[in-house]
Amino acid sequence: MSTMQERKIDRVGESYYEVRHASGLQIFVYPKSQSHSTYAIFGTNYGSIDNAFRRSGETEVTRVPNGIAHFLEHKMFENEDGVDTFARYAQTGANANAYTSFDKTCYLFSCSDHVYESLEILLDFVQKPYFTAQTVQKEQGIIGQEIQMYDDDPGWQVLFNMLGAMYHTHPVKLDIAGSVESIAKITPELLYECYHTFYNLNNMALCVVGNVEPDKVLALCDKLLKPSQDMQVQRYFEPEPPSVLKPRVCVKGSVANPMFYFGFKEDAAHRPTVQQMAETEILLQTVSGDCSPLFRRLLDAGLINEASFDSEYFEGPGYASVLFSGESKDADAVAAQILQELERVRQDGLDPELFENAKRSVYGRIISGFNSVESLANGMIADCFAGRSLVADVNAAAAVTKAAAEKRLQTQLLPQNAVLSIVEP
Amino acid sequence: MNKIEQSMLHEGVHFRSVCNTKFKTFRISVNFLLPLQKDTAAPNALLPFLLSRCSEEYPDYTLMSRKMASLYGATLGADVGKLGNMQMLTVSAGGIADRYALHGESVTAELTRVLCGALFHPALQDGLFREEDFRQEQRQTLEQIASEYSDKRIFALNRCAESMCAGEPYGISRFGTREQVQALTGERVTQAWKDMLRTARVEILVLGDIDPEPVAKIFSQAFGCVQRQYKPLTLSKPISHNTEISYVIDHQNVAQGKMVLGMRVEVSQLTQPELVPAARLMSALYGGTPNSRLFLIVREKMSLCYYCGAGYNSTAGLLFVQSGVEFGNMKKAEQAILEQLKAVQDGSFTDADIAAAKLALENGYCTAEDSLGALDSWYLSQSFMKKVYTPEEYAALVGAVSREQIIQAAKGVRPDTVYCLKGQEGENH
Repeated sequence: MSTMQERKIDRVGESYYEVRHASGLQIFVYPKSQSHSTYAIFGTNYGSIDNAFRRSGETEVTRVPNGIAHFLEHKMFENEDGVDTFARYAQTGANANAYTSFDKTCYLFSCSDHVYESLEILLDFVQKPYFTAQTVQKEQGIIGQEIQMYDDDPGWQVLFNMLGAMYHTHPVKLDIAGSVESIAKITPELLYECYHTFYNLNNMALCVVGNVEPDKVLALCDKLLKPSQDMQVQRYFEPEPPSVLKPRVCVKGSVANPMFYFGFKEDAAHRPTVQQMAETEILLQTVSGDCSPLFRRLLDAGLINEASFDSEYFEGPGYASVLFSGESKDADAVAAQILQELERVRQDGLDPELFENAKRSVYGRIISGFNSVESLANGMIADCFAGRSLVADVNAAAAVTKAAAEKRLQTQLLPQNAVLSIVEP
Repeated sequence: MNKIEQSMLHEGVHFRSVCNTKFKTFRISVNFLLPLQKDTAAPNALLPFLLSRCSEEYPDYTLMSRKMASLYGATLGADVGKLGNMQMLTVSAGGIADRYALHGESVTAELTRVLCGALFHPALQDGLFREEDFRQEQRQTLEQIASEYSDKRIFALNRCAESMCAGEPYGISRFGTREQVQALTGERVTQAWKDMLRTARVEILVLGDIDPEPVAKIFSQAFGCVQRQYKPLTLSKPISHNTEISYVIDHQNVAQGKMVLGMRVEVSQLTQPELVPAARLMSALYGGTPNSRLFLIVREKMSLCYYCGAGYNSTAGLLFVQSGVEFGNMKKAEQAILEQLKAVQDGSFTDADIAAAKLALENGYCTAEDSLGALDSWYLSQSFMKKVYTPEEYAALVGAVSREQIIQAAKGVRPDTVYCLKGQEGENH
């Protein structure tokens, strides 16, 4: 019998419940009795970067075509009885969807009524793969069109050009959907192999946030989850040199304003801790946030605009980098100013008042996140697969010191690891 | 359920609040509605951005940003949009509820004061917006116009709407044209600000964990100091000129085509408000959900489009079908999309289809009750309606729609303009 652990989030006076189900599935239920809506995600720790892997007990690495995780996600919506999964959800009114990212595949719905019926559909269809040669062939055409659509998206182009220049071998540089050539190699047999490897419940998690009762969710899980054999999957990556492949890539695209990504590769042998994540977020907010001198200089020089300029910590299994992005008439000048400011901060340290304000902003963002069932559910599943927890996330920011944030600069945002990607008209 | 309180602070200044402590944040949006006109669109569009940038009290972008950061990352946001034939200028403020402030501050009171200061006491020099602020926002607006070119879905939708309603308010861009923005002066924009305070219809929305009383008081006082010359604004419906479908085609360096079908809908908030729930349901059944005809038949069964969906604008009485199509399939896709419209008009859909569309819409409305942003848009869209409904009440109206009403709404849909974005000419498309 699985027992639920209550996890209290003192800061907001709420709790969620966590349980390792007998089937192997990690389950999180976050009740919000005043919420009209409920948001559920059933996901696997498996994404586009998993094109090579080793199952427990195996010595050989298995390699599969690029884009297969995304392809599999599309195919999961078809069922043996010919009834499309969306047609099943149409009976409950739930708004259903799915997404594949670099390191996970998630199936989700949001609904205001018929919660448990919708949850039953979710748990059922994700556990029932059904692929035939005919449906695989049809999907190759549909996904081929989706890939084309991304080719026309300059925002997508400028990001992947940067990743391609940053990484020598790591599959984060590959398009999530693969290429028309790679998906042509996908067969029903390969899909079943990936499914049985990664859709093992020990490799998956379920997060339900909203107007639900934890006991009822658990009862439904008891009824519907099929125990999986306890198998572990190891991700396999070719060795990745610490250096970047090339420091600058610039292409022409269908844009009116030039777009850029300016990224700093860093060592990714270990995933950053919750504390390190918070330090980086506050560091970035202090150095390049709205009230920073750098932001103001870039704005006054007409080099960036408020609508597009942004920074983020982009990290996952085997990859980590800090990314600045936006639109600029002169991205090289933006990059030079960022480098110059980082140099100055390394010497002079962070401004204490700006640092305190950055901490306050991050605290406010965390509190606001508790409004949304969607952001809570997505955050919880990402945390689960990364070995982090929501409770730790909330408290980490308050514990960040100026010295700790400054120390991040020893391993992060190093000028020799920078890559600039530009798409210009 | 979230209850709505409504009052009128001054003539044409409406105040609505939906307060609920289930939210951990609050939001105040001040929306100025003005007739969308060619010669005023550009100066008006600049205002929300210019006003939220700084104020007399925080006379500089950095000082304002620091104030916001010290209020736990509160935001002062600006936007410009359209509501039917109106241009809507929005300045909004949002932050965490007072109970989460770590040092006993009142985030709500401070932010209300800053917001009000930004709107009524901007940073002026010799009575005009300062040159550097004005130039900064002018540049950024020009860049926003340009970035709408980069997003091909938005670009195609805007081009279809502009061509379809050329010469009417609906055909005017929310930012005005590039040339008009370039030609702006500090004097012109300062005049637009004064006109806005005097003549706009104002909708103030206060949402979330906040006491609305002090907000109403501050804004009532502020508007009391303005010489209001408000002439009631009314919605109008776009005029149809087309007797047959017109075609507009653009060529760009793109790999995938975009096609947008613009249609006129007889039913609108203005013409037959009682049938608007039926028209919404008709649009959902036709192309608004994964169970709709456009999704199941045109996209899934016929594999003609990567995406294909319909959206109905009840204020303007317009419906747009947006799709991503291979260049060679455009004619076929257009025919298929129109055939499905005919099918809905002929009533060839099942009761199960109706039930599914109702569930999907009801779900969408009820979900809106959990988001301040969604509630904000919901109530704004009803600014000109005689009776204002909560999303939950509206869900009940949709639930009561009959098959005959859906067909009646569908029969008033008429295809008007087909817009196609294709690849460069000579590339064998």
